[in-house]
Amino acid sequence: MISIENVSKTYRGSARPALDSVSLEIEKGDFVFLVGASGSGKSSLLRMMLREDIPSRGKIHVLGENLIGIPARKVPYFRRNIGMVFQDFRLLPNKTVFQNVAFCLEVIGKSPAFIEDAVPNVLRLVGLEEKRDRYPNELSGGEQQRVALARAIVNKPQLLLADEPTGNLDPATSLEIVNLLERISQAGTTIVMATHDRGIVDRLKRRVVVLKEGKIVSDERGVGYEKAEEAR
Amino acid sequence: MKLGYVFGEVAQGLKRNLSMVVSIILVTFLSLTFVGTAALLQLQIGQMKNFWYDRAQVAIYLCSTYSPAEACPQGEASADVKATIEAKLNDSTLKPYVEKYYFLNHDQAFSQFKKEFAGNTVTKYVTADQLNETFWVKLKNPSDGAIITQSFSGVAGVEEVRDQRSYLDQIFNVLNAASLAAIGIAVVMLFSAILLISTTIRQSAFSRRREIGIMRLVGASNFYIQLPFIIEGVFAAGVGSLLAGGAVVAIVQFFVQGYLATNLPFTNFIGISTALLLTPIIFGVGVLLAATASIVAIKRYLRA
Repeated sequence: MISIENVSKTYRGSARPALDSVSLEIEKGDFVFLVGASGSGKSSLLRMMLREDIPSRGKIHVLGENLIGIPARKVPYFRRNIGMVFQDFRLLPNKTVFQNVAFCLEVIGKSPAFIEDAVPNVLRLVGLEEKRDRYPNELSGGEQQRVALARAIVNKPQLLLADEPTGNLDPATSLEIVNLLERISQAGTTIVMATHDRGIVDRLKRRVVVLKEGKIVSDERGVGYEKAEEAR
Repeated sequence: MKLGYVFGEVAQGLKRNLSMVVSIILVTFLSLTFVGTAALLQLQIGQMKNFWYDRAQVAIYLCSTYSPAEACPQGEASADVKATIEAKLNDSTLKPYVEKYYFLNHDQAFSQFKKEFAGNTVTKYVTADQLNETFWVKLKNPSDGAIITQSFSGVAGVEEVRDQRSYLDQIFNVLNAASLAAIGIAVVMLFSAILLISTTIRQSAFSRRREIGIMRLVGASNFYIQLPFIIEGVFAAGVGSLLAGGAVVAIVQFFVQGYLATNLPFTNFIGISTALLLTPIIFGVGVLLAATASIVAIKRYLRA
């Protein structure tokens, strides 16, 4: 599903590489936490997986595509198989909940009939069917992130990338989001989530990949945050 | 492809950037009007050349009693002089170049002068003997005027040989300079139109950066993301081009045909059909420039 070999990335004007010889294999259906301090390379790694960025060195394959050689015009079609959520939700403030989710189907050319069918379904899944006509500023942070999640999964992606999705949320709300992610994972979607929320990592006991200064320092299954940190 | 979405975005973009859009319309309108005017001038010059060069003749003015002494020391041209000139026009050297020639004596020259200057007070002060007797020579090829000029200049009894084309060339040089000036102004304005379009497109893209970000994230094709911006630029420039096309037609209709043609009745002016022919070209140029500028601007914005 995801195969990363010796990937390094140095950004211009920065002496230390953001990623330093990172190798990582992620299987279909995996739920992987990427943990580490700010600047440890979590977001860089996610950006590489989405092909927002290309490594300076190394090889990266995602969903069977070689992301180094992929022609620019094929990138959009590659991304249609990936959902992504962010810490800051990134909803469109002038569109309702329904329109926000529908927008990402419209712009990839889905038919109105498909949209009318798919959007209410996914809003039901995230528990927002009652609020479909609200605007983002009328929603709580947790609700906004659920809209963002709905948008990320409405096209049934094989892979869901989450960059600190609970970073702006209180612990109880964070838990709601993580429970949703679990359900999405159980439906067969591969999930890679960057976080430094210890509570969540400890609670879920999934695969934890620890990054430090651009290097993977541990990669453990079924452990908590502390365990993973200790294991290095 | 959802056309509804695309045109909704275009309408929104145009509304949001209204003042920029209006300035694109105005700048393309003015610059293309200059381009169109320059083209009209060139066409007019071409048409006048065809018309006048065909009619241009070489005049051999013979000496009269009023001629200046340095050109005509022996005074009024004698019958011998006329016979010599006529013989020379008919000999084998010049004959192949000459289509026809005719001679006007003082009275004939005077009646032609009165016809040409009918209504002008100058006719009251001029008398027949002041006007030169003249051989008018029409050439097979009007550009061969120099042959006649060289053959007869300095011949005794000839005051001056004048190729009418030399008058015409002066007029055409002035018109040519005017059309070059119009082209020059048009180029500068078109350049600013292009810059204005790319600035507007970048600004428009910036104000929609959230939407663009989401579209790229969820995998909208580049064409789909870029299309509304390209249409926005093309639309604004298209309106300007249409106005310019209309202005060119109006110039021909009201100024050339309505004013010039009635006031200068003996000149063959370009007609409305020529202007109508120019309009689609002007429109095409405007749209093509705007499309290129928009595509380059949005591609560069998205790559950055």
